[in-house]
Amino acid sequence: MDSFQLLLDGFATAFTPVNLLYALVGVTLGTLVGVLPGIGPAMTVALLLPITFNVPPASAFIMFAGIYYGGMYGGSTTSILLNTPGESSSMITALEGNKMARRGRAAQALATAAIGSFVAGTIATALLVVAAPLVVDFAISFGPEDYFALAILAFTAVSSVLSRSVVRGLASLGIGLVIGLIGIDQQTGQARLTLGIPQLLDGVDVVVVAVGLFALGEVLYVASRLRHGHPEVIPVGRAFMGRSDWARSWRPWLRGTALGFPFGALPGGGAEIPTFLSYSVEKRLAKGREFGEGAIEGVAGPEAANNASAAGTLVPLLTLGLPTSATAAILLAAFQQYGLQPGPQLFDHNPALVWGMIASLFVGNAMLLVLNLPLAPLWARVLHIPRPYLYAGILLFAALGVYALNASWVDLVVLYVLGLIGFAMRRFGLPLAPAVIGLILGPMAEIQLRRALAIGAGDATVLVTSPIAAVLLILSALILGVPLARRLLARRRQVDATA
Amino acid sequence: MRWKNPELLLAGAVLALGVFVIVGTADVTAAASTLGLGPRFFPIIVGSAMIATGVFYVVDVLRGGQGDPEESEDVDPSATSDKKSVALISVIFLAFAVSVDLLGWIIAGALLFFGVSWVLGAENRLRAGALAIVLAVASYLAFVKGLGVTLPGGPLEGLI
Repeated sequence: MDSFQLLLDGFATAFTPVNLLYALVGVTLGTLVGVLPGIGPAMTVALLLPITFNVPPASAFIMFAGIYYGGMYGGSTTSILLNTPGESSSMITALEGNKMARRGRAAQALATAAIGSFVAGTIATALLVVAAPLVVDFAISFGPEDYFALAILAFTAVSSVLSRSVVRGLASLGIGLVIGLIGIDQQTGQARLTLGIPQLLDGVDVVVVAVGLFALGEVLYVASRLRHGHPEVIPVGRAFMGRSDWARSWRPWLRGTALGFPFGALPGGGAEIPTFLSYSVEKRLAKGREFGEGAIEGVAGPEAANNASAAGTLVPLLTLGLPTSATAAILLAAFQQYGLQPGPQLFDHNPALVWGMIASLFVGNAMLLVLNLPLAPLWARVLHIPRPYLYAGILLFAALGVYALNASWVDLVVLYVLGLIGFAMRRFGLPLAPAVIGLILGPMAEIQLRRALAIGAGDATVLVTSPIAAVLLILSALILGVPLARRLLARRRQVDATA
Repeated sequence: MRWKNPELLLAGAVLALGVFVIVGTADVTAAASTLGLGPRFFPIIVGSAMIATGVFYVVDVLRGGQGDPEESEDVDPSATSDKKSVALISVIFLAFAVSVDLLGWIIAGALLFFGVSWVLGAENRLRAGALAIVLAVASYLAFVKGLGVTLPGGPLEGLI
């Protein structure tokens, strides 16, 4: 069956009244939580994971797709209307978006962000439909050594690309890998690093780690240096834009999509790089006109890139089981909660689920457009929530989600310890994404490594004899080596200059 | 001297964690399975990599390297670290963790919300208290009745 037919079947799944309702609940909650300041897309998904505990898988993933896209939409509203710099993926939007809003063009900024997100999301999801079966066909021949090399590539890319300092990225990765080691070894039944605590035998649940690092860590960090005083929110009516705004927006939307999708699909790509690239492209093309004072192109391009990268992330996630961002890693954890392992087999064994989720991405995107244009003033009001209540509420729901897992207070103590780690990581600038990816991909890397070496009967060269694995490992070495070499060169030049 | 730099503690912790992984798995004696590698193989790789990373990290901090503190909408980058608030929230959260089974979700959750919002500077105590009760009851009802999740009722068991 070709993928178009499968997609139509997916739409049939997505269009049942129950699943439409789940999609609507997903996009609404995703937008609502995504609008909340201090909550990025990764934390949005982590905090909302628990509400899908008792939902059947197909519906749960439709809801998740909505939460994922909704969180993206919500974040742009925050960065445009709130007068303070936010997390890195929406920071670029804030550059021009916030200036537009201050000049009384908030409605237009929100409109170009929402419509641009819709356009980019729809095109990028269509690209996902085309690309996914191709990657699956290619990946079906992957052996364990290839998967291991793929994990190594993801580790090195996310550690060195997302952080200014490679050593800090690697430290974060290591923290995640160590947490992933805790518990019983799946192949031999041996307990590792459990410190004799029986509750740790099953390992630390990914939900606990994600909520701890993101939610609890954020609350503690904000508590340590809370911005006091009333939040400054720019008032806004219904989001709309005029003819000239459309004329100025559509090209940046398309360029942003073209940048966002491929970067989202690359390990370590994420949303930061394409949004930044899109911003600089638009700035150059506009020849400086209005940039820095609120140019609509500077909102349209990066927002489109942001949403396109979200769809791009789903390509390696669904086809290879490879998360390329923290948010994707948490989505992968959601799959694992249902005993599903994304990869070529998922398309084979659960086509209804995968294609239902992809179809619902189109549906959710359309819902988000309807939800965001007329309801902008409503979302803006969310920004006024007094911060003490906001962060107390985040803590309450973090505790609720984690306690609901096993009804165990030990989990809450573990949650607190992870929150402290998340706090320290924020305080000293260790990026969080490598830790989350290490945690989730680490156990998989171990299994594939041991499997590959078992097949090779202890001969370590099996790891590099596959051409795919060899290429991936060389890429990993380059990713780690290049920044290091560049620094050494710079230092030598400095020495030469002073000599 | 930079020995008092708190980031050095974190870098040292990364190094120590690497050592811990290697030492902590020393007692994991593989029931040496005939196929391939035992359960200590991967931890040794991870531990060694972390020790190497930790050494580089410590050196970097000693030479004056600094991470960029994360930016967030509600974070004031110029503020000095408010250790008292962090400590108070820690105490409140841990007290919540150990008492939730006894007090039940509604009472413990309401106290958690009230305590944290008070530490973070909620101006109106009465409103904070009312919100705490509403949120705790609403989340209990939504999760227990709506989503079928089990939460402890505590002394209010049967009343709601």
